[in-house]
Amino acid sequence: MILQGLMAVFQPLTVLWIAVGVVVGIIFGAIPGLTATMAIVMFLPVTYSMSASQGIATLMALYIGGISGGLISAILLNIPGTPSSVATCFDGKPMANKGQAGKALGTGVVFSFVGTIIGIAILVVLAPVLCAFALKFQAYEYCALALFSLSMVVALTGTDMPKGLISAVLGALLATVGLAPIDSRPRFTFNLFQLNNGFALVVLLIGLFAISEVMSFAESVRRKQDFTIEQNVKMKGAGFSLAEFIAQIPNAIVSALIGVGIGILPGIGGGVSCMISYTVSKNTSKHRELYGTGIMDGVVASETANNATIGGAVIPLLSLGIPGDAATAMLLGGLMIHNVAPGPLIYEKNGAVVYAIFFAMLLSAVFMLLFMLWGMRFFVSVLKVPKNYLLPIVMVLCGIGAIGNANQLFDTYTMVGFGLMAYLMIKAKIPTVPMILGFILGPTFEENLRRVSQLASSDKFYNHPIFCVLIVATVLVIIFSARANIKDAKREEMAGE
Amino acid sequence: MKKLFFALVLVTILATSAFAAWPEKTINIYITHAAGGDTDYMARQLAANLEKVLGVSVVCTNVTGANGATCMTQYKDGNKDGYTFIATNTAALNGNEATGMVDFGYNAFEPVAVYGIQSGENIVVHASSPYKDLRELIDASIANPGQIKLGISTGGGVYIMACVLANLGHAQFNIIDNGDAANRLTALLGDAIDATSLPYSTAADYIEKGQLRSLCTVLSKAPTLIPNQPSASAVVPELKMDTEYALLAPKGTPAEIVKAMNDAVLKVCGTPEWKEMVNKFSFQDPFYFDVEGTLNNLKEQRDLFQSFVPILEIN
Repeated sequence: MILQGLMAVFQPLTVLWIAVGVVVGIIFGAIPGLTATMAIVMFLPVTYSMSASQGIATLMALYIGGISGGLISAILLNIPGTPSSVATCFDGKPMANKGQAGKALGTGVVFSFVGTIIGIAILVVLAPVLCAFALKFQAYEYCALALFSLSMVVALTGTDMPKGLISAVLGALLATVGLAPIDSRPRFTFNLFQLNNGFALVVLLIGLFAISEVMSFAESVRRKQDFTIEQNVKMKGAGFSLAEFIAQIPNAIVSALIGVGIGILPGIGGGVSCMISYTVSKNTSKHRELYGTGIMDGVVASETANNATIGGAVIPLLSLGIPGDAATAMLLGGLMIHNVAPGPLIYEKNGAVVYAIFFAMLLSAVFMLLFMLWGMRFFVSVLKVPKNYLLPIVMVLCGIGAIGNANQLFDTYTMVGFGLMAYLMIKAKIPTVPMILGFILGPTFEENLRRVSQLASSDKFYNHPIFCVLIVATVLVIIFSARANIKDAKREEMAGE
Repeated sequence: MKKLFFALVLVTILATSAFAAWPEKTINIYITHAAGGDTDYMARQLAANLEKVLGVSVVCTNVTGANGATCMTQYKDGNKDGYTFIATNTAALNGNEATGMVDFGYNAFEPVAVYGIQSGENIVVHASSPYKDLRELIDASIANPGQIKLGISTGGGVYIMACVLANLGHAQFNIIDNGDAANRLTALLGDAIDATSLPYSTAADYIEKGQLRSLCTVLSKAPTLIPNQPSASAVVPELKMDTEYALLAPKGTPAEIVKAMNDAVLKVCGTPEWKEMVNKFSFQDPFYFDVEGTLNNLKEQRDLFQSFVPILEIN
């Protein structure tokens, strides 16, 4: 069966499709507004006419390419290409500003590869065990998990906690627009049917990071400036030394495990995993004050975790037929169309296809590494394009991305609205990143809280050990992060005097 | 005589040219559900085959959200030139109206054709559960009110099913929202609920492996290729949830074009390739109606769903 899977993948046409998938994925990932999910949605109908192995291989390639490509624009433009690379901006852009764009890209690409491989390894070896664990997560557990992840906001925001919380709460509030979870009653839709779906994450992402970035740049337009930036970005190898690579291994392993863990749990996804792993990496580091100033550690944490999430998300997808995020939900569709029903019998009934998926993922990871390393000198040359030419193009692409989300022009208006909001937030020094966390996790929390309220009469919380552990962990994280933040604030004050 | 003949020909040409030329450009089909789902798959299969019959491109676009209500709201008064169609399923079309999500039904469109039927949902329990059929499950819930947990997704077809079970079947489940089919499956496997309804395609492998047991199908009649299944309607007569695939046109689309499109759809559905495809995909034989049959079928289903409106409340 393993051999059958191998043969299914290593056919010229399939290999070609994987290569095409990776390249298209990287492009979708790199362009703000176009995401891995969108690439899969666009290609899914194309795979209807392919064989099962070929179709799924193509979709996997798009997925891996798409998640990896996001780092390019995050590092070069400070605009995350996909939700999964939001945390890559934190240290990626400062590195680029220091003239280390090549090094940042190299780090991101290599550790994306490392993350993908660790994710695949865990997928292949531990899938059945981890599935049993994932089944333990029901309403109570999700409720606590969402709270726990939200508590990371406190750690993320640093010294100005109230503003971080304002941002997170605003994000959670924005997510309440549309049909309510559970009872499908419209909320804050003002009788506009376009608002029934609520706001899409990708539209919010473009508004928060791309539009606001363009507007900030526009401020400096009338000032005299140097339009030729960073002419001499040289590249050698992957941009960093072997010693630096070895030094990052512990960080990468922890980040990969966080990524896989979050991937396994349905409904959270790469957007959260990169931020949590960045926060964990920062808070456990010996030089946490350097995070955000442009160090490799930050890029490693984010990029390893988001790619490891792929392997994690595929575990429940294949073994249980339960998708971990929007992209895997599309993959599930892709499998069903080819009469490959994920579930307990997938190894028995479609073993060859499962192994084909593993090999396709490995091959996609290798292609991703090669294409991205090879393409790095071209990516870096984006910095040589004067921003007054580059940013309008980015704006147009963002608009296309917003429309592509649901084929609705309405979303471009929302995008601009969010951009204005983000600009005002930046002016008020309110961080925009907690808003994304609030936006993703708010609905998870609400939905499961409401389910818990249906259950509470017959099923008490103390019967759920995972719930209790997570709640205690949440309280601890809040106390310790708050204390660390207050200390930092005092230190800053002292330094100020 | 010659003049009269030419006049006749001229009149005929003039009379027919208004729609005889249809189709002469690309046809757009807006799909109410996302790529990867059954509604999308069936619509795209239909579109690909329509291209061969009609000789023009048929382009599919997914406009998703709110169980299809977004797309239907947007295109019900869309372009009436005969190049705009909406592909959806009848559970969304009639269900959204019954649950009050939208204030219009199939009458807001020019129905073109019903062109397929789903393999349906099955009521399933854990294999270790003592209940062998729907009757036993309902009786057990009446004997122990509120103790048997039934997982549903509020607002959808499964919700309507739960309401029918509770109010017409007199079952007394503890009804719990678990979200979509994948989440309901997780909840059932993780013992968070005792019973739920799952698409046959999702549940089939678990049933075969002996992890889950199907009590019945909620289709009015079991799929042609998996016939030996009891129907829920044998226990609760009103419980018939037939999800069919339907093609609609915006209100005001000329009747001739609707008829011509229906002819093309019927031509597609009559081919052996189509039969092979639906056999494989939904375990059903080809299922389709002409324009009049489509209208009658939609009316029948709408009447059934509307009869549920007073009971769409779980106490």
